Amino acid sequence: MPGNQLLLIGLVQALFVLLVAPIFTGLSRTLRAKLHSRKGPDIFQNYRDIFKLIKRQEVVPAQASWVFRLTPSIVMATTLLIAMVIPILTLQSPLGIAGDLIAVVYLLAVVRFFFALAGLDSGSGFGGIGASREMALAVLVEPTIILVLFLVALLAGSTDLGIISQKVAAGEISYYSPAVWLGMASFAVATFIETGKLPFDLAEAEQEIQEGPLTEYSGRSLAVLKWSLYMKQVVVIALFLAVFFPFGSAAVVSTSSLLVSMATFLLKVTGFYVIAALLENSMARLLLFKAPTVTWVAFGIALLSFVFYLANV
Amino acid sequence: MSGTSVVNALAVLLILTSMLVVETRKLQTAAYMYSIQSLVLVAIFLSLAVFMEAEPLYIWSITALITKTFLVPYLILRTLKKVGIQEEGPALETSSSIFLAVGLVALSFVVVEPFHMHAVLKLKVALAVSIAHFLLGLLCILARRNALKQILGYCLMENGSHLTLAIMAYNAPETVEIGILTDAIFAVLIMTIIARRLFKDFGTLDTDKLTLLKG
Repeated sequence: MPGNQLLLIGLVQALFVLLVAPIFTGLSRTLRAKLHSRKGPDIFQNYRDIFKLIKRQEVVPAQASWVFRLTPSIVMATTLLIAMVIPILTLQSPLGIAGDLIAVVYLLAVVRFFFALAGLDSGSGFGGIGASREMALAVLVEPTIILVLFLVALLAGSTDLGIISQKVAAGEISYYSPAVWLGMASFAVATFIETGKLPFDLAEAEQEIQEGPLTEYSGRSLAVLKWSLYMKQVVVIALFLAVFFPFGSAAVVSTSSLLVSMATFLLKVTGFYVIAALLENSMARLLLFKAPTVTWVAFGIALLSFVFYLANV
Repeated sequence: MSGTSVVNALAVLLILTSMLVVETRKLQTAAYMYSIQSLVLVAIFLSLAVFMEAEPLYIWSITALITKTFLVPYLILRTLKKVGIQEEGPALETSSSIFLAVGLVALSFVVVEPFHMHAVLKLKVALAVSIAHFLLGLLCILARRNALKQILGYCLMENGSHLTLAIMAYNAPETVEIGILTDAIFAVLIMTIIARRLFKDFGTLDTDKLTLLKG
């Protein structure tokens, strides 16, 4: 397959994620409103918010350095890059060898790093606390993600996400093996936390972890950052789907098969959001200091799946 | 899906539920978890009965269903109602006890590795799980301070030894099995009565605080 065509698919993927991400966050807001029996915003409210913010004037704190000004573009660009790298529509990574899971994990870390740094750089005490919490949660969740990804990589014999996707879709890595479904369970928990859902975080409130570092942002930068946060949620879910539920993705590249895999991807992500909405609205906010209890259990399960892999179960 | 893979998957579920029993702070939830776990144990017995064609195991599973899934949690919950629901303090942090639990599971896999008995060759995983289960029960007793939680730990150990028995000697007569089960029930009954007396006299079930004699 010519490389140019794949690059094109990568661009399509990134654009696709860029365009649909606000719908999903809107969906989760609507679902929450429905579960609270209030009217709530409609699904497209996030687009209106973003366009309203773009038109507003931008204010930058006097103490802030270039980090503060560059972060929106860096975060947006990196998230777009991850969206290009992960096999979302096809069963292979559009950027070939760049679709390496280690690279993806590091790219996610770059997003988080700059996000937290900008929160600190803003000079606002509030943003600083948000940043430190974001990093604390990251330290708790990342080991689980990395361990499960390595486990799957060991099973597939390759760290290429595309090859992992193909092997899972072909049934070579079967769900019957306890190591796989244990890993899937703990990865699902990690994904749930990463998307900023309620017992840990409320991804749409300024006093919470994910939006805390945004305190000092305004205008266009705020719009860009918010948009990339919406995208990050979809991207993290896409990573989960690419590793554990690659069914429906196009094995051969053609326009029709790409359209089909777009539709299945939308369905799968909607399913994830519906389940997440049901879960998060049945729980109360967890103290950040209590979060390690849950993440340690998730990590323990991931570790257990690794033990089962070693024992050849 | 072959028979052994069903047993393996259920065995993994058993480990998962027992870890939840150990880690859950709320005693009521832990008791329910124990009930679920016993249900998984019964499912293992049933699948062993089908795949090994062992008739006695059907009766085993029925008695286990009655005693472990319903009676033991009922006894614990009844005692809980009497003493009030007590959250236990952290005797061992979640992080370290999870690491210990995973380490114990790994250890039991290592221990089982050199086994070459004909009877258990196919069910090595389940055997390892049963040993791991016994160790997890021990961990629960050592790492938790609440007396009722320690009773649950004892029940976990009992489940583990039970599974070992079912794997090693699935054709043992039913009387053996029923004897063992009723034994366990009486042990739990007596322990809950003691726990209730302890609570009456000391006002706590924290075993660290039970250091004084009171007459």
